[in-house]
Amino acid sequence: MTEYKYAIGDRVTVRDGTTLFHTRTQAFTRGKSGVVVEYRPEWVIPEDEAWGRDDAERGGRYEPFYVVRFLQRDLWPNYTGFDIDTLETEVSEHWLEPAKEE
Amino acid sequence: MDGFRAAVGREGQFVTGHGYDVLLDTLGPDSQREAKLPDLQHKPDPWESAVQATCECLSWRGTLDNLERRNAEDALGETTYRDFPVRARSVVVTAHELMERGAFTADELRARMDQVRERINRA
Amino acid sequence: MSHDHDHGAHDPIQAPEGVSEFEILERAVRELAIEKGLFSEEDHRRFSEWAESIGPSGGSKLVAKAWTDPEFKARLLADGTEACKEVGIDWLDPTGVGTPSDYTYFYVLENTPEVHNVIVCTLCSCYPRPVLGMSPDWYRTPNYRRRLVRWPREVLAEFGLHFGPDVEVRVHDSNQKSRFMVMPMRPEGTEGWTEEQLEAIVTRDTMIGVALPQADWTASGPPSAAKANS
Repeated sequence: MTEYKYAIGDRVTVRDGTTLFHTRTQAFTRGKSGVVVEYRPEWVIPEDEAWGRDDAERGGRYEPFYVVRFLQRDLWPNYTGFDIDTLETEVSEHWLEPAKEE
Repeated sequence: MDGFRAAVGREGQFVTGHGYDVLLDTLGPDSQREAKLPDLQHKPDPWESAVQATCECLSWRGTLDNLERRNAEDALGETTYRDFPVRARSVVVTAHELMERGAFTADELRARMDQVRERINRA
Repeated sequence: MSHDHDHGAHDPIQAPEGVSEFEILERAVRELAIEKGLFSEEDHRRFSEWAESIGPSGGSKLVAKAWTDPEFKARLLADGTEACKEVGIDWLDPTGVGTPSDYTYFYVLENTPEVHNVIVCTLCSCYPRPVLGMSPDWYRTPNYRRRLVRWPREVLAEFGLHFGPDVEVRVHDSNQKSRFMVMPMRPEGTEGWTEEQLEAIVTRDTMIGVALPQADWTASGPPSAAKANS
């Protein structure tokens, strides 16, 4: 049974982690805050998959993943669309932290 | 990982090295980089599907992983081979990567292309 | 009969009419790769067959079915991977030779009057091939991938799509294991249509999110051809 640290509706911030390792956490989301809108299953984290540790037997670490929705105006300085626009992407749990009080 | 690949970051576009002449020579006066996104709407020719199949085979059988090849397409396609039509990107970059990895030499490729061209002429 | 040509070392060689240098390059690379044992002819033949056989018809069927059958629509939105089996698509075995680089978590994104969805993969151009076939060239370019996330309305406008400030343009960046497809809204002028008629207007671009289905456009012929269903 997957344990999810964050609930749907929680505001979260993407951590500004190192980019030395292969990761699928896009640069443009680092340090940005959004809302958890959906759960995904537990997957082996891409940092392990890239090194061939693509399942538990090979030492791959599983983590819950989340769909995080950002307001585009929060992602991009001088966003040229409308305030209502959003972007969704999937993030693994260890890349997230609770959003700071705004 | 050798120096060439270390210089191509996941989001960086810096590329070491030059293009292979055998590949640069395939760009003729009628082949031009498409200007706008919707210009890239076209039904792929059979050879394009054949290229995609080659890329899948190379990845599946362990020579050139799809993700690495796509990253190389991004990097080389915007620099060394920037004048090429986007639809030729996969074949040109795959050939480049295979030569970089020593799968065959530029001379071998040129010789084989001459052979293929002659075969097609004969037909 | 062969003749000797004296080519300069760097003269671009003109291919015979109808055969491009790229086509020659493709064949040469393939032959060398096979000779060097990088893969077999049979490998290539199978992937070619698959690449040429898949197209957006699977996706069109899903959408047309969802438009006409509310219970199927609910199943499709709840579990895309499972619902695909109802139109003969098995994400775990789409090629007959295993799943090359397609993942098995498939989600359908429903367009509403309030939300317009559009898909991209900024990292590498992942695409829901089992339901949409091979991705279009433009989808794979850094031009599209970098710009859609940052200036989505500008990119959509280049495809002829414009939305007002009360429509949320929602970009989905498929950076992990999920693959997405857009379920566009059913357009006006299609009342009483059969599933087959509806499938014909659900084109590839409407399921990526850069176009909206129209009652008079099926992409089966050039725009100058006669209207569909007339």
